[in-house]
This record gives sequence, structure tokens and C-alpha cells, in this order.
Amino acid sequence: MEEQLAIPDMAAVKSGRERKESFTTTSGIPVQGVYTADDIADMDYSRDLGMPGKAPFTRGIFPTMYRGKLWSIRQFSGLDAADSTNERFKLLYQMGMTGFAVAPDNACIMGYDPDMPEAAAEVGVDGVGMYSMKDMEEIFEGLPIDKINVAVIQGITTACPHTAMYLAMAEKRGISLKELGGTTEGDPCSAGGCSVSGPSGPNSGSLGIPFSDLLRLCGDLVEWCAINVPKWHPVSFTSYNYRESGVNAYQEIGGMLSSAVAVIDEVLKRDRGLGVDDFVSQFTFHLASHNDFFEEVAKMRAARRMWYKLMGEKYGAKSPRALSLRFHIHTSGSTLTYQQPLNNAIRVAYQTLAAALGGAQSIHSCSYDEALAIPSEDSVLLSMRTQQVLQDETNIANTIDPLAGSYFVEWLTTEVEKRAWEFYREIENHGGWVKAADSGWLREQTDREAIKHEVEVRSGEKRIVGVNCYQMTEDFFKPSFFRRDPDILEKQRARIAQLKEGRDNGKVQEALRELAEATKKGDNVMPSVMKAVREYATIGEIMDLWRGILAPASARGRLV
Amino acid sequence: MDSGESKAMSEGKIKVLTSKLGFDIHNRGITLVNMALRDAGMEVIFIGNQFPKQVVEASIQEDVDVIGVSILSSTYMEYITELTQLIRENRVQDKMLVVGGIVLPDDVSHIKGMGVAEYFPPGTPLTVISEYIARNAPRRSAS
Repeated sequence: MEEQLAIPDMAAVKSGRERKESFTTTSGIPVQGVYTADDIADMDYSRDLGMPGKAPFTRGIFPTMYRGKLWSIRQFSGLDAADSTNERFKLLYQMGMTGFAVAPDNACIMGYDPDMPEAAAEVGVDGVGMYSMKDMEEIFEGLPIDKINVAVIQGITTACPHTAMYLAMAEKRGISLKELGGTTEGDPCSAGGCSVSGPSGPNSGSLGIPFSDLLRLCGDLVEWCAINVPKWHPVSFTSYNYRESGVNAYQEIGGMLSSAVAVIDEVLKRDRGLGVDDFVSQFTFHLASHNDFFEEVAKMRAARRMWYKLMGEKYGAKSPRALSLRFHIHTSGSTLTYQQPLNNAIRVAYQTLAAALGGAQSIHSCSYDEALAIPSEDSVLLSMRTQQVLQDETNIANTIDPLAGSYFVEWLTTEVEKRAWEFYREIENHGGWVKAADSGWLREQTDREAIKHEVEVRSGEKRIVGVNCYQMTEDFFKPSFFRRDPDILEKQRARIAQLKEGRDNGKVQEALRELAEATKKGDNVMPSVMKAVREYATIGEIMDLWRGILAPASARGRLV
Repeated sequence: MDSGESKAMSEGKIKVLTSKLGFDIHNRGITLVNMALRDAGMEVIFIGNQFPKQVVEASIQEDVDVIGVSILSSTYMEYITELTQLIRENRVQDKMLVVGGIVLPDDVSHIKGMGVAEYFPPGTPLTVISEYIARNAPRRSAS
């Protein structure tokens, strides 16, 4: 209490004494009191900044950025069964959402059907069940997926079948795959969602499937889409996941570059006629936006500059699209608090502003109840309004990269970039992302940063409003939280039973046999996955097949 | 599974089994809790992601004093119901059960009613957790 009522010592202030011994960014970069032209004396406009849409893309990947097209409001959504999610999407669309992103439930993201016993408690949990193409049909019924594109957010192992379910559904609706736009997340390097324990290790979420196979599946999707669905983004490197696990801002983008290298090299080594300009053009990235406002903006600008350099210098990419870092921002869930949830709306507003000033192509703004539940209607609407007020009332989108030229922001962009390259090189010195993850080194770095954060919070050095300062025993704001349909398991079991009865099971088995063959022979799996999902093969059936071939030790994915 | 030291060496140390329940792989919190409990001188056996049946089996096999589970998906009601039921069926209620992760405020008294000794929401200082366990863990009698 005493600390919270502290009156500033004005005499001390007038004498030049500062509030703290040192001021740093969240990632530990020391920050001076004042920045001047001297701090960016080495900066060269055309070498380091350039115009938006031109090398090195620091200021943005398109010439007109938000003056041409505002960032997409893309709220990650999914609840209960397909019909409820469809209702939610329709509501959000009416309320002004401009991009879709579908959140899978725990059962299907791990590759289980509702009739599999292990998945009983996970059906309908924290997302929508996407067990077959039928679910995709119902989720997107009546929505203009030819005009607004969809991000299909995936577990790493299920990227191919879930993408195929979406693509096959769109095709069935008469949309040509040559025209269809959208994104698959499926980043093998962020295996384990918000844990970086090594993709083949425990808690990795990869179900014991070796990293080389995860890379293979991702490579298959990239390769196949480059030819068959040219406007599709087949992978979105999700640095968000390991950032949330604990790594800091510059480690986030250093790691991100390294993870992209792993997939690029996987595709190139196949030597099947695709050059970097053919497939890297469709890569996208999925970053976090955390609380340190200027550091996050600097990080995004640095990331664009680094990607340009990496693609040009390491791979000789020529196509502007391959040299441009296209990214989505998901505001940071881990910075949001269980205590005093209304405060989270404010955190999200600042994080969304940082994303917009950082030049993101689409943004998901978390809801204030993020630390407690998936969004209710009320809370997701407020998230959308957060973005809409930003877009329509603040005029920040009137000009491109407005923070450019700030002594501090340019200095910080360069500093973040420098440290990110150091981290990238450390990973490469460990043999690249795969080896750095499998050896446990990445886990060590993540844990070290997570501990550092925890120590800083415990000491009070890092203040979290409502958690280690300004605590309240009783919160004044008591929202009602989303709760899952209590009958969801029964409903989903009935639906899947009906599906399995109504489809041509002979054709399903035949398609699965072909998929098994393609998987074992090392052929691209996508043609047979597409064939199987068109016959309404389920996610559980496809994943059982792959678990059997690729991770036999873990059999039916008994939690490894 | 982390097998820990032999019983002779660990006599006197509070033995804690920690686990994530079900498919939830948000493990940043449990990583820190495991570390904090070890720093506080406890023996920690972390069994990763498991279902309630395996948690109870392991806690019996390892003869632990405390079971700590971490859940950051909305599955806590189902899993804690099953877990506390299995604890009762196996007559190991003398082991203290604590829960970390996300439990909606309205459900906290309910899970305590089922047999959870304490719930630690996100943001709980690690020392609060380790001190609670140190103070309240059932003591093993000298044999």
C-alpha cells in the first residue's frame, strides 16, 4: 500500500535523479534517456529503410500499405460444433470482420475423432471440431470464402488433412483452386504449440512423429500448393508460439528466420523443379505483439529487413514477393491476466496499435477473457471494435510507417536486428533449427528467458497491473465467460457415426490405402490426402494411419 | 519419466508428482513450478502429459506425498472429476492434490469440494505455491 501511495520526490526529480537504476526494453535492451541524430548517424535511407514496397522493405511490404488496403481483422474463432462456429463467423462478418481464422478443438488438432476414447474430454475444447470435410462445409456455409480468405490454423501434424478438407470443400462449392486464397498455419518448427521441447520430445504435440517427417509433410503441402493452389499460403511460421513459451522479442524473429530456413531447405533438397521464387513467395509469418510498445514495432520492422537480406543473400531470391515478409499478428495471450480481466482490453489495444504501426497484414486482437476462456460474443466484439476504432477513428493509417525517422525507433530497429541475427547464427551454429530443438538447446534458451521474466515479476521490477501491484481482493468487473455446450461430446459422436454410415466406406478405405502407399514411398501425400477427404475420411483415420507409419512406437498417440 | 533419487536418499524430502492433463501442451507454467519446487528442496517427478488414470497410477508407484496437475485448457472439470474419483477409488486421498492453470472463479469452490486442496491461478508467485506445499503436504511417518 505504501508503495502505491508514493508521492514523487520532486526535489529529486529536479536534481535529475531518475526513477530507476536502468531502463531496459522487456528483452533487456538498455534504453537511453534521449536519442538524437548521433544515435542513427550510420543509417542510410535507401540501404536501411527504402520506400514501402521496395527493398529492404523495412517500411512495409506494399507501396500503399494501409492507404490501399487496411489490415484484415482476423479473429481466431471456433467453438462447440460446426453450426455454432458458423453462427459466430456470420455474426463477426456482419460486425465487420474482414478475414477468417478457424480454431480447431483439442481433439482434432491432435488428430482424434470424437468416437476415439482418448479424446472424450477434449471434444469441443477451446475450438471447433473439424473431423471431416463435412465440418468444413458447415463452418463456412453461407460465407464468402471466395472474397474473404480464411486462415486454417493447424496442429503441425494435421496441416495437410485439414487444409485438404478446406480446399476440397471450396472446390465443391465451385471455387477454382487456382483462384482460392487462404493460409495454412502448420509450422513444423513451432511443434508443441506453446512449448519448445524439441519436436520429437515429450510434450511436443507432435505425437512422437519425428521432425524429419513433420518437415516432409510440410514440404509436401508447400510443393503441392505451389503448383495446384498458387494463391494459397501453405505455411505460416509461427514465432508467436515460442515467444509465448518465453523467448524474447529478438529471439522470436531470429528463431523465425531459422525455422523458415529449415522448410526452405527441405523443399529445395527434393530437387523437383521448384526454386525459391516459386514457393517462398507464398510463405507467411505469424508473430506476437507484446507489451513493450516500441520494441514490438522495432521488431516487426527489423523482421522485414532481415527477411529481405536472408532471402537475397542466402538463396538469391529475386521475386519481390519472396523477399517480402508477409505477416499476421496475434496479440500476446501470455501477457493477459486472470486477475482483473477488464485490464486486458487495454493491453490488447496497445498491442494492436503496435501491430498496426509495425505494418502487419492481418491482426487478431485477443479478448479480455483470454486468460480464462475462449471469447464470448461480448468479448470478441470488443476485440473487433478495438481494431475498428484504430482503423476508422485514429487516422494512424493515413500515412505509411509513421514512426520511421524517429531517432529511438530507428536505433531500436537496428539493435533488435543485430541481436536477432546473433540468435539466428547461434541456432545455425547448432546445426539449424531441428538440431537446436532436438538437442534441447532451444528449450534451455526458452526456459532461461521464462525464468528471467518470472524473477523480474516476483521482485516487482516488472510490474503487472492487478497481479503484483494494484491487486484487488474482489474484482468489480464480473463478465460471464464462455462455457462449452455440455452435450457436445454426445452431439459430435452422433454426427460422426452418421457421417461414417452415410459415406462410401469402400472408397474411403481405398483412398486410405493409397495414402499409406504414398506416405511410405515418399511421394507427395497431398493428392491422396485430397482424395481421402473428398470421400469424407476423418482426421482421426488419417492421423491413425500416419501415427502407425511414422510413429509406431507411440501407436495410437498414447500421450508420448 | 523422471525417476528421481532412491527412497533412502529422499527420506524427509516432500515428494511431488506433477503432470499436465490431457492434450493441453501449454507447459511454460509447469516448467517453472517444477523448478521452484526443486529449488525449495522437494523431489519432483514430472510425468508430462497424461490422463487421470496414469497420474494416479504413477503417484502410487512413486509413493508421492503431493499430486500437482496443470491444466490450461477448459477441460479441468472433466479431468478433475475423474482424477478425484480415481483417487478415492484407490484410497489415496491422503496424498494432497493441488491444481494450477485455468479454473473459472465460479468453479473453484466446486473443485475444492471434490478434493482439491488448493488452486493456483495464473500469476500466482512461485513462492506461494512452494510455501503452501511445504506447509501443508502430508508428512510421511518415519518407517
